[in-house]
Amino acid sequence: MKTPIRRRVGAAAALVATLAVVAYGLGPVVAGASSHREAPLIAADPSVDNTDLYAFASPDRPGYVTFVANFAPFSDPDGGPNFYPFATDAAYVIHVDNDGDAKEDAVFRWTFHNVDKRGGKTFLYNNGPVTSLKDANLLFRQEYTLESSFNGGPFVVRSKNTPVAPSRVGPASMPEYQKLRDEATIKLEGGWRIFAGQADDPFFLDLRVFDLLYGGDLSEVGRDTLAGYNVNTIALEVPFSDVALGGDASRNPVVGVWTTTERNRVRITGRSDLSGDRVQVSRLGNPLVNEVVVPANLKDAFNSIPPDKDAGIPAVVARVKDPEVPKLLEAIYKLPAPKAPRDDLVEIFLTGITTKANGPIKADLNSQLMNADADASRFRPSEMLRLNLTVPVAKEPNRLGVLAGDLQGFPNGRRLTDDAVDIGLQALAGAAQTGKLVDALATGDKVDANEVAFGATFPYVALPNVGAVNANARPAVAPTTPASQGMTVGKGPEASAPADIPKATSVAAMGTWIGVSAGLTLALILFAAWAWRRRRRPVGPGPDPTLPL
Amino acid sequence: MKKLVGPVVAVVVLAALITVAGAVLGRPSGPRAAATAVAPPQDPLVVAVAAAQRRLAEVPGDWPTWARLGLAYVERARVTADPAYYPKAEGALRESLRLRPDGNADALTGLGALANARHDFAAARSFAQQALRLNGFDAAAYGVLADAHTQLGEAKQATAAVQKMLDLRPELPALARAAYDLEQHGRVADARDLWLRALDQAPLDAAYIHTQLGDLAWHTGDRAEACARYAAALDAQPGFPAAQPGLARVLAADGDADAALAVWARVTRRTPAPSLLIEYAGELRRVGRYSDADSQFDLAEAALRLFAASGGRDDLGEAELAIARGDADPAVAAARREWSRRTHADVADVLGWALHLAGDDAAALRYARAAASPGSRDTRYADHLAAIESALRSPR
Repeated sequence: MKTPIRRRVGAAAALVATLAVVAYGLGPVVAGASSHREAPLIAADPSVDNTDLYAFASPDRPGYVTFVANFAPFSDPDGGPNFYPFATDAAYVIHVDNDGDAKEDAVFRWTFHNVDKRGGKTFLYNNGPVTSLKDANLLFRQEYTLESSFNGGPFVVRSKNTPVAPSRVGPASMPEYQKLRDEATIKLEGGWRIFAGQADDPFFLDLRVFDLLYGGDLSEVGRDTLAGYNVNTIALEVPFSDVALGGDASRNPVVGVWTTTERNRVRITGRSDLSGDRVQVSRLGNPLVNEVVVPANLKDAFNSIPPDKDAGIPAVVARVKDPEVPKLLEAIYKLPAPKAPRDDLVEIFLTGITTKANGPIKADLNSQLMNADADASRFRPSEMLRLNLTVPVAKEPNRLGVLAGDLQGFPNGRRLTDDAVDIGLQALAGAAQTGKLVDALATGDKVDANEVAFGATFPYVALPNVGAVNANARPAVAPTTPASQGMTVGKGPEASAPADIPKATSVAAMGTWIGVSAGLTLALILFAAWAWRRRRRPVGPGPDPTLPL
Repeated sequence: MKKLVGPVVAVVVLAALITVAGAVLGRPSGPRAAATAVAPPQDPLVVAVAAAQRRLAEVPGDWPTWARLGLAYVERARVTADPAYYPKAEGALRESLRLRPDGNADALTGLGALANARHDFAAARSFAQQALRLNGFDAAAYGVLADAHTQLGEAKQATAAVQKMLDLRPELPALARAAYDLEQHGRVADARDLWLRALDQAPLDAAYIHTQLGDLAWHTGDRAEACARYAAALDAQPGFPAAQPGLARVLAADGDADAALAVWARVTRRTPAPSLLIEYAGELRRVGRYSDADSQFDLAEAALRLFAASGGRDDLGEAELAIARGDADPAVAAARREWSRRTHADVADVLGWALHLAGDDAAALRYARAAASPGSRDTRYADHLAAIESALRSPR
């Protein structure tokens, strides 16, 4: 079933699962022995499923921050005449909390509508090559309204009837897709830039790494299981001053970000009016929280509640403090699990990394508690992606982010090139606690970079893929195709080289930026009791490109 | 050994009957048959089941996928009306539970869905409640609970469960249940409004939703709207199976018995569900094809046996079949058995009608009134009630 959180793992585990419950496959009303009415149990509508959230200082535009939120995972480019539209009855929302009370201070809300000129005569989305978003050949398209609200004020429309970059049907139908992308990338007043439309799924990982949870084997990973799939992206670039507390990013550099999707509420009891406000059906902040932090039975709850309720659910906090993955790593790989309670993980996921919350990580990086104008007494731990806007943009981003001394990367916000899975595994295994990367996990899921290059400028995400995913299964860690203006993405084709994994020097780098407190960390490292020996993992056969998802 | 004989016989008999029926009754006729022969795109449910099986061959410890596979089997059983999927579903769900005995809400929800499918609504209610104790935000578990309460005749609890489901995921599964709930409370216009919303929200499910709108119109006596909706369903997805019974009913009502029978033959070949077979037999009788009708009754009986052999229990279906065959007393007995377990309006209607046919209109009246009482505008219930009241006024 689709507990929304399991979205990645579950979804891939069996594209199956979702398909299994695709409502339109569930036809008959009257099957079953008597004639009682039956209905599908689970809607498989991926259009509102949050998959990933990214937040980073724009590398090419000082003083601006970019948010990228993705939906509709596993959009197969070979969807035929099926576009992957945004839901028209839902709201897609990005929330920002800049004072740490776990409540939103800035809200950006997208709503979509269809422009359908097919008139019931055809099911095709275009009847000839589409060379612009206004092309008469483009029979079905979507537009959106973007509204924003600050500090609890009313929503103000920022952009209306704004075109969505369509699903990329194929080279014949859309010979110059970049042009469509460019047309859908729009500059607004106040320096904002916005984009909504299809893109390559920027997340790169081998989902099979999560088979660990089910007794799988890490030695079998190494294939970017998302290669070739598309997602629906909304992206927004705004000045720091629009999201920072008091508009002052130098005094208040940290923001917390999460994204939700909401559907219209329906009531059949208590009143005659069926309508109402909206219901939050999906929520996402940090990557992998759903997969490895929130317990299975709390995933639905997590998707339904706002962050300010997180701390009120003891089971979530308990699970963060005592996660399952390290125990599995210990059981399977003899990699000793760091002792619970894992207050280091509480910092990473629930408070931000700071010395002001008495956590074990001796650094001040990305907690709203660092904001000079924030009222610490109102601070509330909550799960969100926290970003220190003022960390200088890294010239050469390291895929392992903060853990490798690149403080601009995840878990300080998240860039498209950050290797969330490897970072997450490292963090769970205690790397943040010790300040030292865990060698046994050096290669992680063995997928170190996305299969296509990201753009150098807003909206940064790569153009959508064309061609059926299964038709062009890629080898492990496919060499990146350098785009003309592509920015550096991770490493090249060397599948398992740990060359980019820095050792203690990285911690020194961390220290220079953070301050002397890191020195203590270094000292701790010397005494770190990682008494395990590197487990010799068998060199498995190369991943079978024909393996089904 | 003896336990096995029943099921095996039932399966053999059913297979034989279907083969014979196919040969005798189901001769494809003309261009329509050719049109339906065009292979539709691969059934996503079939693809899903196969993919889950592959996945489990690789990672047999993946208990969430076992739970999903189990639920997919339940859905597959519903779509195909083939109860042979029930034991498979049970196997997959039990395996999930074996791998993860504690806190496995998904498996419990799946078992609840399976119990509903087997008409063990009390067990379904219990599974759903267990799942919700583990995960109180599980919309699907509320769906299972709502279905169970509804069928058990616990209308208030059903409505509350549907509202919970709506509060979590106001999407097609919840909207469908909400529309049905409203319909049962006589709020037909609101039910229609929800289906229209669902249509906006889930355009990919247009065929299913149009069919529901068609059935809603049909049951409330709006033949023209029903006709238009079935047409829309078939337009959205040519040959859409669930729209076919409605189409056949419209054709029969229009007096085009041959066309109606052709559709019924096709429907029951593809979906040999007892209720459909019984309705087909009724149409055959109307045109005087009594022995053909008897063949359909035999098929329905075999299908009921197969259902029972797969762990189901459907005394309501038995009662409907007995009524259709004119066996009033066995119909009363079967309907009473069902009524002892659950007090849904459908059961009240069948029990009332069976009693009427058995000549006990005084007893029948109570059930016929119960069937119509929640404010339902279902024309069948109203017709039965009127006939019973009329019989009481002028005793035979």
